Amino acid sequence: MKLSNRSNRVTMLGLDFGSTTSSAMVATAGVEHSCTTGRMGFGVPQVEYRSKPVFTPFNDDKIDLARLDGYIDQWISESGIRCDTLFSGGVIITGLAAKRINAAALARLIGERIGEAIVATADDPRLESWLAFMGSCSMLSRFHAETPFINIDIGGGTTNPAFGKNGSVLSTGCHFIGARHFQFEPGTYRLISMSPYGKELLNDLGIEKCLGKDLSSQAINAILNFYIDALEAISSGNTDFFSSPTTNRYQQVPFAFESTEAAPVLVFSGGVGELIYLENQGKELPGTTHYGDLGIDLAKRIVQSPLLAAHISDLVPDNQGRATVYGLTLHSTEISGSTIFLPDSDILPRRDLPIVARLPIDADAKQILHALSLVEATPNGACIQVVSGESNAGSPVADMGIPICESLGSVKSFGQHLRDVCMQVNPKQPVVVLVPHNYGLVLGNYASNWRQEPFNLIVIDEIPDRNAHFVTIGRLHNNIVPVSFYGVC
Amino acid sequence: MKTITPILEIDVPEPQSDEIYSKQILGKQIRFKGLKKLLGAADISKAGDRNTDLAPKNDMIRETARMILSSLTLQYIYDHPLTDDNNLVDTVVRIGYDVDHTVFNSISFMTLGDLKDHLLRSDGQEIKRIGRGMIPVIAAALSKLMDAHELIFIPRKIFTPTKARTLIGVPGSLSFRIQPNHPKDNLDAISLMVYTNLALGMGDCLIGVNPAEGSIDTIISVITHIDKLRRETGVPTQICVLGHVKTQLAALKLGAPVEILFQSFAGTERTLTEEFDVTVSYMDQAYNTMIEKGPLRNVARQFMYLETGQGSEMTYRKHNGIDMTTCEALCYGLCRRYDPFMVNSATGFIGPETHLNDFELMISNLQDNFMGKLLGLPMGVSPSYTLHADTHIEGQQMTTHLATAAGANFFMDVYLGTDRMLAHFVNSGHDDQTLREVHNRIPAPEFLEWAKEKGIFEQSADGCVTRGSEWGNPRLFCKSAAEFQRLRESLPSAPGFDNAGPRPVNKVQRTLLLNQSIGREAVHSRLREDELEGIDFRVLTTMAQCREDHLRRSELGTMLTAESMESLGPENKDIQIVITDGLSAEAIHHNIHDLLTVLEDGLRSQNYSMGQHILVHYGRVKLTEHIGDALHCQLIIMLIGERPGGDALSSRSMSAYLVYRLNDAEVRRQAIEYSGNKGIHYEYTLISNIYMGGLPALEAGSVVAEKAVQIITHKAAGNRLEEMIMQKK
Repeated sequence: MKLSNRSNRVTMLGLDFGSTTSSAMVATAGVEHSCTTGRMGFGVPQVEYRSKPVFTPFNDDKIDLARLDGYIDQWISESGIRCDTLFSGGVIITGLAAKRINAAALARLIGERIGEAIVATADDPRLESWLAFMGSCSMLSRFHAETPFINIDIGGGTTNPAFGKNGSVLSTGCHFIGARHFQFEPGTYRLISMSPYGKELLNDLGIEKCLGKDLSSQAINAILNFYIDALEAISSGNTDFFSSPTTNRYQQVPFAFESTEAAPVLVFSGGVGELIYLENQGKELPGTTHYGDLGIDLAKRIVQSPLLAAHISDLVPDNQGRATVYGLTLHSTEISGSTIFLPDSDILPRRDLPIVARLPIDADAKQILHALSLVEATPNGACIQVVSGESNAGSPVADMGIPICESLGSVKSFGQHLRDVCMQVNPKQPVVVLVPHNYGLVLGNYASNWRQEPFNLIVIDEIPDRNAHFVTIGRLHNNIVPVSFYGVC
Repeated sequence: MKTITPILEIDVPEPQSDEIYSKQILGKQIRFKGLKKLLGAADISKAGDRNTDLAPKNDMIRETARMILSSLTLQYIYDHPLTDDNNLVDTVVRIGYDVDHTVFNSISFMTLGDLKDHLLRSDGQEIKRIGRGMIPVIAAALSKLMDAHELIFIPRKIFTPTKARTLIGVPGSLSFRIQPNHPKDNLDAISLMVYTNLALGMGDCLIGVNPAEGSIDTIISVITHIDKLRRETGVPTQICVLGHVKTQLAALKLGAPVEILFQSFAGTERTLTEEFDVTVSYMDQAYNTMIEKGPLRNVARQFMYLETGQGSEMTYRKHNGIDMTTCEALCYGLCRRYDPFMVNSATGFIGPETHLNDFELMISNLQDNFMGKLLGLPMGVSPSYTLHADTHIEGQQMTTHLATAAGANFFMDVYLGTDRMLAHFVNSGHDDQTLREVHNRIPAPEFLEWAKEKGIFEQSADGCVTRGSEWGNPRLFCKSAAEFQRLRESLPSAPGFDNAGPRPVNKVQRTLLLNQSIGREAVHSRLREDELEGIDFRVLTTMAQCREDHLRRSELGTMLTAESMESLGPENKDIQIVITDGLSAEAIHHNIHDLLTVLEDGLRSQNYSMGQHILVHYGRVKLTEHIGDALHCQLIIMLIGERPGGDALSSRSMSAYLVYRLNDAEVRRQAIEYSGNKGIHYEYTLISNIYMGGLPALEAGSVVAEKAVQIITHKAAGNRLEEMIMQKK
C-alpha cells in the first residue's frame, strides 16, 4: 500500500491592476497529457481564490504602493498560497496604472513580494483583449465551435474587443471607451474629475466642462449615445466609425475581423460586462453612480441596444468582471512538453528573452546562422521560435485534432544545421529554441551531437507561436516548464 | 447484520482419495479419475479448462460425465470435499460448507438429477430454501447439467433484494452500476461520465470507479469527488472506489466516505491470498469494521460489493485442478459469508486464455448467474469482450439479454461500453436502457422517484415508465454550456451524446465500432518482414507457432524454440534490440523506422556495442530474459506492440521495455535489497504510449536512447534507477 505523490497539480496566480479596480485570482490545475493530442496541458482548472475587487489606490496619478502592498498581503493571506511554490502567474497593468512610472514601480514591488514565477506586463492592449476573451468565452466558443464570438471587455479606461472562433482569438483591438473617464461624487452626477479622453469627448460633443457641478441628463445621454454608437460600430465591424479625426483618437488599436456567414455572437466582460448581465437578469443594480462613474448607466444602455444585447440572455460567458484576471491566471502561460532538452536544470529560468527570429523547420544553415547572430547581439540571450509549417490535412489523423509532428528528416536536418552553425559561431549566450510540436529532445540531441558539444542549447517543445515579442521561461517543474509571452504583435 | 460463523466451527468431511467414475457407452469405456476431473468434463468446453486439460475432449465424453454426475447424491458430493494440491481442504472450500444443515439434510438423499427436476418443478420460495442448504460444488455440478433454457428458467424465479440507500433486486426492477473509469483517474472525465450515465437513468445500485492507480490518496480523491457528485445531483445511490480492500479501509480510517466496501474474490485460497492479497480472516475483520464504522451503517442492510469471474485461478495456475465453473461457485460460497449488497462476475474480461468466443462467454455468464442466485446472492453479471478474443459486441449483447431473462439483478454501465482504463468492453447505459425497455424493467424505487423529478423518466398513471424529456441529456447536471464544454474537453475521445430512442445515434455507433475494428485488426495483424527493409535483423521464433497460440496461451510467447535458442550464444554486447509484435504488429510498422533511426544514432554516439537486431513473431515481454540469458548482453531493449483498446489511433501504440541484466554480483545484491525479491535477475524500465497521439516515434527514439545511457551508467533500471537519479538531483 502506498501513499503516492501522483498529483501533478500546479498553482497559478493572476493579478490585474486596472484604472479602476485591482483583483487577484489563484487557480490550481493538473498538468497532464491530452488523451487525444498527447500534448501537455492544464486539466480543468479549479479556482481556489478570487479576491474582492478593490479600487486601485492612487495619489493623484501616482499609484499608492504602500496601500497596494497591503492588498497583496491580504490576497496572499486570504488565498493561503506559498509564493515559492507558484508554477506560473501573470500580472497585467493597464490604463492609468500602466503609466510608465507606475508600471515600473508595481513590477518591482510584485517581483519582491511574489517572486520570479510571475510575469508582469504593462500597457499591452492586444494581450489584454486576448486574455479577456480567453477568460470570458473561450469555453463557450468551443462549445459553439462553428459560431464566431466577439468578447467586448469594458473596463474603467478601455474597451478591449476580441474576435474568435472555436476558442481561438483571431483579432483584437482596443478603444478608449470606459466607465471611468468621467468620475462623479458617488450617488450623484457631480463631476469631480475627467480623463484626457473624457475631456476631449466633452469638447467633441460641445458640452461645457463643469467640474464640481452636476452633468445634465442631456450631457450624460450624449456621452452614452456616443459610447453606444462606438460599441455598435466595433461589434458590427464598422471600422469607418473611427476613421474621422474626432473619433480616431478613441481608438488605440484598430479592431477588424473577417466577415462571416453567421453574425458574431457578442458577449461582454469587465466591470461593465458584469453589470450588463446583472441588469438583464433583473437583479437590482446599485444606485446611480454608486461606483463614482458611468458604469451602471452604460450597462443599462447596452442592455437596451438590440444589436449589443442580442445574445445576453441565451449565451452568458464565464467570469465576466474577472475575465481578464481569469485569462491571466489560466491562459497567460503555455506548458512545455515533458521531453525537453536542457543542458542542466539550473539553466532555467530565463526571463524577458526577445524572440529574434521565426524559422520554419526546413530552414537552411544560412537562415539559422542569421538567427544565431541576432541571438548573439542581445545582452542576455534570446530566443528562436520554430513555426509550424506542416499541415496534417490529408493525414490519417486529420480529423482527430492531432498536430502532425514534423518529419524525422526535417528535424534531423534542422538539428544538424544548428550544430554546424553553433560550432561556427561558438555562442556565448544560451541559445533558446521553441518548437511547436513534441520533438524537443531529439532536436536538442542532434544539435548537440547527443550532448557532446559544449554550447548551451535549450530546446522547449510543444510551444505554439503566440506572435509575441518577448518570452519568459520558468523553472523546471516535474519535467515541464511554463512559458509566458508578452508584447503581443 | 449477519453474524459470521467462526472458520473453525465450520465442519467439513475428511478428504477422500480420488475414485474412478466410469461408464460404458456402446462398448467404449469412458473413465474419469476423481470428482474434479468429472466436474471438469461435464462442462461445456471452454478455453481455460482446455488449457488445464479439464475440458471434455468431445460431446460424448461430456454427456457421459453429465450422466455420471447426475446419478451422484448430494450427500456424496458433500462427503467428497474438493482439495488443494496438498490434498487439504482450503479455507475457501471450508467456508462453502457453512450451510443450513436442516435444509441440507432434507435434500441430501436426492441425486443431482433428482434435484434438477425438483428445482424445475418448484417455485422461487422452495428454490431459495434449498439454496440455503447447498454447498457451492453442488451448485456448480447442477449448472453443468442445465441447458440454456434451464439456466434461465430456474434463477428467474428467485429474488434476493438488498438495501443500501436504494433497494435493488425487487421483482420487475433492473439496476446498473455506473463505472466511470478513466485511465488517469481524471476527475472531470469522471464527472462527465457520471452525468451522462445518470441522465441515461443508470446508477441506481452504485457509482463505482475502478481506479487506474491504487494508492490511498487516489482512492480518497476519487471517492470524495464522486461523493460530491452524489450530493450535488441528489441522486439516491451509493458510492464505491474499487481499490484493494486494505486501501479502502485505510481511506475509511482517514474519514473517506467508503459507503460500500469492494473486494475481488477467487475460488482457491492460494489465489485469494497470494494474488489478491486477502485472507478470509482479514475479510471477516473488514466486514465487522463496516458494521461498526461504515458511513451507511445506520441506513443500509448490506454494504459489501464483491466481484468474481471465471478463470482467474486458472490464469495464475492456482486452481488446484478444479475447473473454472466450480472455482466460480466456490467464490460464491465465500461471497455468501458477507451478506453482500452486490455480487457480480466479470467473466470474459481476461481474454482468450479463459473464454475464446461468444458461445463460451454466454454459457459461462448464464452459469454464473444461475449459481450465484441459487446460493442466495444478489447476483449481477458483467459479461465483457476484448479485442484479442473471438468475442464481440453482438455476443456480449446477446449474453446480457439472456442474463436479464434469467433474472440478473444488475449490470455495469460504462460510457458507450468502452472501458479505456481496463481495455475491455461491457454494457453501456444505452444497452442498459434497451434491456429495461425490452424486458419491461424499471429502476430501484428511490432512484425512479428522483429520475422522474429530473425529467429523466416519466411514469403514467398505470405505472408504465418511459424515457422523459431529459433522458440522455448530460447537460442537465451542468450549470452552463461552458461547464459542459469544459468537462467534455476532459474526454476528447467521446464521439457524441446524441441518441436515437434508447440507443446512441448511428454516427456514434459507427465511430465506436470502426475504432474497435481497427484495434482488432491490429491484434490479428502479422509482422511483415518485407516492409522492414533497411533494418538489419535476424529472425527468431517463440514457442507460439501461430497467432492463435500467441493469443490463447501467453506463456508460449515468453520462450524461444529450441532451434532459436541454439542459434544464440554469448555475444557480450552492451545492448541488444528486440522487435516483436506483442498485441499489435501495426504498432511496430507505424513507429519502428523513425524510432529505430534515432535510437541507433543515439546509442552509436556513445559507442555502445550492439548485437544484430532480433525480430520475433508472437513475442511477449518476458522473452527478453531468455534472450538476455543466452546473449549475455547488459541491456535488452524490446520494442513491442501494446494491447489495443477502444481508440483507433492507440492501436498503433508501442512500448519500449528496457531490461537490465543484473550480471554483477554487487549490483544484484543492491537490487535484491531494494526490491526484497531474492529471485531478481532483471530490472525493467518501461516507456509506453509511443504513437502519434502520445509520444511520437522520433522523440521516443531519443527518450529511449537517453534512458539506455542512464541505465548502463547507473547499472540499474526501474524504480531503483529513478531513485538514484532523484538522489543525485
